[in-house]
Amino acid sequence: MTAFMQQIINGLSIGSVYALMAVGYSLVYSIMNFSNFAHGGVIMMGAYIGFFLLTAFKLPFLIAFGLAGVGTGVLALVIERIAYSPLRKRNAPFLYFIISAMGASIFLENIVVATIGPTFKTYPRIFSPEPIAVGNLSIGRLDLIMCVISTISLAALIYVIEKTKVGTAIRATAYSVRASALMGVNTDQIIMIVFGLGGLLGGIAGVLFGMKYTVYPQIGFITMKSFIAAVFGGLGSLPGAVIGSILLGIIETLTSGYISSQYRDLIAFALLIFILIVRPIGLMGKTTEDKA
Amino acid sequence: MLKVENLQVYYGGIHALRGVNINVEQGQIVSIIGANGAGKSTFLNALSGIIRPKEGKISFKGKSLPQIPYKIVAAGISQVPEGRLVFANLTVKDNLMMGAYLRKDKHGIEKDLGKVFELFPRMAERVDQPAGTLSGGEQQMLAIGRGLMSNPDLILLDEPSLGLAPLLVKTIFEIIKDIKKLNKTILLVEQNAYKALSIADKAYVLEQGRIVKTGTGSELIKDPSIQEAYLGKTLKSYRSND
Repeated sequence: MTAFMQQIINGLSIGSVYALMAVGYSLVYSIMNFSNFAHGGVIMMGAYIGFFLLTAFKLPFLIAFGLAGVGTGVLALVIERIAYSPLRKRNAPFLYFIISAMGASIFLENIVVATIGPTFKTYPRIFSPEPIAVGNLSIGRLDLIMCVISTISLAALIYVIEKTKVGTAIRATAYSVRASALMGVNTDQIIMIVFGLGGLLGGIAGVLFGMKYTVYPQIGFITMKSFIAAVFGGLGSLPGAVIGSILLGIIETLTSGYISSQYRDLIAFALLIFILIVRPIGLMGKTTEDKA
Repeated sequence: MLKVENLQVYYGGIHALRGVNINVEQGQIVSIIGANGAGKSTFLNALSGIIRPKEGKISFKGKSLPQIPYKIVAAGISQVPEGRLVFANLTVKDNLMMGAYLRKDKHGIEKDLGKVFELFPRMAERVDQPAGTLSGGEQQMLAIGRGLMSNPDLILLDEPSLGLAPLLVKTIFEIIKDIKKLNKTILLVEQNAYKALSIADKAYVLEQGRIVKTGTGSELIKDPSIQEAYLGKTLKSYRSND
């Protein structure tokens, strides 16, 4: 039982980081109805920005965090302006957006390979590896930090979406871009805010992910798992993205713990295919009728 | 108040509006009637900046109208779209507040909210309910209320009676008259020609992207060609079905 609880705690920790990444996919999907595959590249850049701020500039941990988030927020906005905005103005089919997103993603990955190099980088040790004992369980300090930072960031996001005027406008625009424009909402601005928020949280997630594992140019591909989580929970739904992410984290750690860590990704991707067959809209996804 | 000259709109290769001229005076109810596909919604969406016209001049309150939707709302024109398009995922209150999105005058917003609740008491009862749970008629009322919340000078109503039961249609048209009393100018687009003409100070008939007839509402109701095309063969037979 202790071992099981231990796996659940580890799962919550990694799942909360997936959630930070997944809400970025979900927010963009909720308004623009396409999966922004460049988000993985943004997360990867966040991991690198955090790494260099901590090693080359030796900035304090929290400041490095904040700056990485701001950096990726701006990067996400730039991607929106260059890769998507011109397509939106021409009412291009959604396939074009996805192709543009893949292009942006490949570009980011290769620019890192070309300038920084393809090798793995390891974050400096910031927290003592000594775990904290809670009864029979031991919780890694980094796992705890990941959980706390993710929870605070997600709570802040949910506050913005649910309680502020801009958040109401985001939800309205997610329901209907046209109706929202007719209410006087500058929908272009709302789209930029959504990309900025997704990028900000993605950068924070990137730093956490880099600290937990390592940093390398293909990290963006691994963050695709958070996309799986977003699909699992229901693309376009924020609570869905969070729940899907936590579940995915737990499924992963249970697989690693009881079967083999080599099966971890296999099971994650098999899960995606299974969900797409059984329930294409995910646990809490919006139906197409809602969107009409 | 609103003057539209030679408005030309293309949808890809389709010439949807072929030089529409319309004049709306302050305080009037102006109706545009026409069959499905005549270009009525296209016309309103061109006014709201959702569709960009290829040619033509639109002036509002003596000034040229901007072409971006949120600037048009700021200028004092709001649209209640066809099919209502209420935000089903938001509460009734949030829907109404979205209507007031560009306003900063808290006091004025509260006052207009009060007016909307006076016009639609049912909205006050359901203020915390998600709009998606409302009936069709209630959604139409919410959509109109939302359109009023920007405190527009001119309100564009796109097929407000569409899909509603006859009794509700009657209510909606009563409400349109009440809105006029609030000192608003109304541009109404309708397929329900008899109702639209009977409340109109002035009306236009749109056919295949062109204005083919204009006059006061009562003139057009009596016009034999209108009676034949839009009101059923004779007015009497239409009324007995009403």
